[in-house]
Amino acid sequence: MTVCIVEMPSYTYAVKGEKLLSSRGYPCKIKRNTNASPGSCGYSLFIYRDCEKAAGILAQYRVPYTNISYGGG
Amino acid sequence: MLINLDNAATTFPKPPSVRKAVAEAMESFGGNAGRGGHPLAMRTSAALYSARETVAEFFGAMPENVIFTMNCTYALNMAIQGIMSGGGHMIISGIEHNSAARPAAELARNGKITLSVAPVHSDDEPTADAFRSLMREDTKAVVCTLAGNVTGQIPPWKRIAALCRERDICFIADGAQACGILDIKMSDGINILCTAGHKGLYGITGTGLLITDGKYPIKPLIQGGTGSSSLSLVQPELLLESLESGTPCIIGAMSVKAGIEFIQKHGISRIRSHEEKICSRFISRLHSIPGAVVYREQGASYAPVVSFNIGDIPPELLAADLAEKGFCLRAGFHCAALAHTQLGTKNGTIRFSPAFFNTEHDADALANSIKYVLDSEKYQKNY
Repeated sequence: MTVCIVEMPSYTYAVKGEKLLSSRGYPCKIKRNTNASPGSCGYSLFIYRDCEKAAGILAQYRVPYTNISYGGG
Repeated sequence: MLINLDNAATTFPKPPSVRKAVAEAMESFGGNAGRGGHPLAMRTSAALYSARETVAEFFGAMPENVIFTMNCTYALNMAIQGIMSGGGHMIISGIEHNSAARPAAELARNGKITLSVAPVHSDDEPTADAFRSLMREDTKAVVCTLAGNVTGQIPPWKRIAALCRERDICFIADGAQACGILDIKMSDGINILCTAGHKGLYGITGTGLLITDGKYPIKPLIQGGTGSSSLSLVQPELLLESLESGTPCIIGAMSVKAGIEFIQKHGISRIRSHEEKICSRFISRLHSIPGAVVYREQGASYAPVVSFNIGDIPPELLAADLAEKGFCLRAGFHCAALAHTQLGTKNGTIRFSPAFFNTEHDADALANSIKYVLDSEKYQKNY
């Protein structure tokens, strides 16, 4: 189940975020987001568990994101 | 027979692995990176990111700080114009290529910046002193080549970078002749590294790199599509999108990745040592030719490049006659007004620049051909 969708400012940061989280045991995937906000690059990280912790890791490693929405399906 | 000894211009041949990577990129990475979510775009985006990662690892940088450009000249223009956009004082070395010297001189000519040129001596101490004495309160940036393109001289750039760091001056390095030959890391004090992808890194022509440590913001030279913030008319500020507008040369980026992997496989010190041996061989053979002048000085360090002349023979003339025998050498002023002024050459020099695929036999063959050509009636009569 998707727990949250993290909208990224660029594809580069999406990959950086994906690698960072995957290597720390947080399953996630880069997908094109059909509801992306204007500030996004259209790519989002779909994170499948422990979203708050995962978002914290992104912040800790200064991987920027533009929006985060919880409770995807 | 064709022997390429003009690898300082662009390396040729390229390693088989680079040629293979280019073919694979043509076949598989036909989408646009960072634009769109269909399989071709996603596959291409992932490939381009992997190229950034390889470059980043090689130079000790972050992938998001690796900007693919069309060549080193473009990268240097981005760095110089981008850093100096607000004015201030800039110092360039006395052996800079025109790719750094011209944009700097243009800014100075238009009154946008003040510019100083620091001479590069054979000894490190006076060179470092020259840079130090030119640094001022308003000095914003120093541009220094890591190895000159005419003689291959390596200035004491780590010392110059340290001087910059102490004074909060942006250190911009031109690595066109050094990358792939010298072990260069951003942690050596480089704030912005500009280099070609198609020389010592063995990628294809049309590739260059700007790598930044992110400390000094670079105002973009061009604006445009970045695949992000598409509804905004304002260029994104975030690296790398701020500096990489438009579709990059994805095939070229994959060639640079393969080129770097080739260097990593063979070892940078081994490659340098191999090329130095060829240069040493050639220099020793030149010494047996009457009138030969090699532009190297005691005390200085050099990348594997040899600039030479034979007496008063115009370098273009001799290079043309050697070209007829299949030797590819660059003669003239090598787009390096400052370096040739410092050397005091009248008609320039002939530049010998081997690469990984050359051998000492190539150096011998060239030396033999020079002797043969000089024995011809044309030269015996006129020189």
